[in-house]
Amino acid sequence: MAATKKLVKVCRDCHRVVDGESCVICGTMNLSTDWAGYLVIIDPERSEVAKKMNIKLPGRYALKVR
Amino acid sequence: MMEMEQSASRIFAIKTTSKQERTVADNIKKAIDTGASDVKVTAVIVPDELKGYVLVETHESLPRIEQLVEKVAHARSVIKGETALSEVGHFLVPKPVVSGISEGTIVELIAGPFKGEKAVVKRIDAGKEEITVELYESVLPIPITVRGDNVRVVDKGDLS
Ligand SMILES: [Zn+2]
Repeated sequence: MAATKKLVKVCRDCHRVVDGESCVICGTMNLSTDWAGYLVIIDPERSEVAKKMNIKLPGRYALKVR
Repeated sequence: MMEMEQSASRIFAIKTTSKQERTVADNIKKAIDTGASDVKVTAVIVPDELKGYVLVETHESLPRIEQLVEKVAHARSVIKGETALSEVGHFLVPKPVVSGISEGTIVELIAGPFKGEKAVVKRIDAGKEEITVELYESVLPIPITVRGDNVRVVDKGDLS
């Protein structure tokens, strides 16, 4: 299998994985490809993890962004 | 009626196929969103340090998580035994790479155009994990901002 490392972008402000050119939550284009750790929030209302990370919306996030 | 369950969430570790940790996290969300599984998971944590595992946050029991794993591609098994969020919370607040560096610390740049130069730390941005330094032997002290992992501590510089 070829090692095609896709550069996934995340929002520097809310850490959300971004598909396009700007974050759908923040509207910012302040994105980073330099991030580590991955977090999928499914039910933010009942998730202590989401509370701890201050995440209000379900989705995919980075644990750490540079 | 609202469910009155206020129990603390539990954390289970799921063993995954090698290098498929993030895929498994995505697949768990997909299985729940599409209704392929009615097991409720609130979050999936994938720390880079934890190779071959993902951590699920849930209010459900071990047998229920085992049911979920059967529906999720690349998820292999559940580790028997649960833990509390407090025990894995450190994955959520990764230690900044600038820890151990303070103002006045003398560092050597180990990457970038000034590689090999010594510098004095002037400012630290722990949130962004960046530090601003001034080159030690430079006549013109120009501040340079570098990533915390691009320097090596030479001297703590905390002698008063
Ligand atoms: Zn954002």
